Amino acid sequence: MPAFIAAVANLKGGVGKSTTTVMLADGLAFFYGLDVLVVDLDSQANASQILLTEIGLHAAAEQGKGAHELLGQFVRGEPAAAGPFIIPNAVSIEELRRAEDNDQRLGWISALPSHPQLRFSEMSLEEDWYSGTGTPSTLASALTTHVQQAIEPLRALYDVILIDCPPHLSPLSRAAMKTADAFVLPTLADPISVWGTKQFSDWVEAQLTDDLARRSFVVVTRFRNTALARQMRTDIQEVYLTDHTFGAVIPDSVNVLKAMDRPAPDSYNSFRGKYGSVTGDVRRLTQRFAEFSEQVAGTQWTRARD
Amino acid sequence: MDKGARLSAVDYLDRFFEEIRLEARANPDFAARLTRALGGEVVFATSDIAEIANPMEIAANQGEAGLRETFAGLDAAGLRKAMRTANLATPVDMRGKDTTELTDMLVRRALAKLAERRRA
Repeated sequence: MPAFIAAVANLKGGVGKSTTTVMLADGLAFFYGLDVLVVDLDSQANASQILLTEIGLHAAAEQGKGAHELLGQFVRGEPAAAGPFIIPNAVSIEELRRAEDNDQRLGWISALPSHPQLRFSEMSLEEDWYSGTGTPSTLASALTTHVQQAIEPLRALYDVILIDCPPHLSPLSRAAMKTADAFVLPTLADPISVWGTKQFSDWVEAQLTDDLARRSFVVVTRFRNTALARQMRTDIQEVYLTDHTFGAVIPDSVNVLKAMDRPAPDSYNSFRGKYGSVTGDVRRLTQRFAEFSEQVAGTQWTRARD
Repeated sequence: MDKGARLSAVDYLDRFFEEIRLEARANPDFAARLTRALGGEVVFATSDIAEIANPMEIAANQGEAGLRETFAGLDAAGLRKAMRTANLATPVDMRGKDTTELTDMLVRRALAKLAERRRA
């Protein structure tokens, strides 16, 4: 079955987009044995840093890997192809590495990483494009065609493609979002984040799809069990984004922060060692996402581990 | 003590510094932070190194030689604890490694992390 593509997005920064992306990638690879591609289109490159470490992401850029190369390809008018820019072994989970070493393939994580250079490349492209007869809509249209042509063939190679989008709606991320089958909307349970999530979902509904409720998966992250947080969670679920699918709530935990800091590019950890007390939360998040993808796209992923 | 009792400024200062002295003696992490705040170089007791010494900070201030010297007194369990505390290695990374290999890993990764932080 072709890969299910989900864009992890929100206009608001700091709501846990990269954390959610990595948790889903780890969970889907570990519990369901799926081959996952993480496409990082955020020039802050947080998901790439979490997966590859900072040394790893600079090394990737030096080897000509990364989303900014895809943009360069577009600028040079070359045929669209993302494959050459992908890092195939971004996994940090020991059980998956061991399965690979024993030739018992069971889930894998690959990455089309980002780099801070991406933002400069985008700005340069926009400046050149708009200095001529180009307009935002012609750029969006041309870039969408390029990104779709680059990503569509990857559907045959992976089970899931997770696109980590930047908080601002860059031309590249808008193009990628048009390729997505579904949207993962991480949010915090606070008034500003809830408002930002609502604004973003309105924008997506107006610009990209008229059936967002069916295609969106909302994840409340860094949840602190306070009266205000509980109230905001109820508001977003029962008032603002009714009919949307809600994933498991991710608690505010030092274990999450630790899990997002890979000590070195050659460092591995067991799944439970990596996530500690939030292992169950990641399992629930993954399970709900698997159910959601089945509803949206008819995927039938089988649980490989408990 | 009578709440209404009035002490001299010197007596109050004595009490204040005595509390700080007691806390610094009982809490090595506090003592290290205090020393740093005063601009001094922290000297760790061997028993405290695994818990409170920050390998990246030592690498930045004293280089590889200082790093090796600071952690030289630790056994394998202490080195594992130091690396776990500083998030330089996972239990999987350290499995089956002896003291020499663990020390090398600590030094290599602390220096790499330092280079990473300085790169940008």
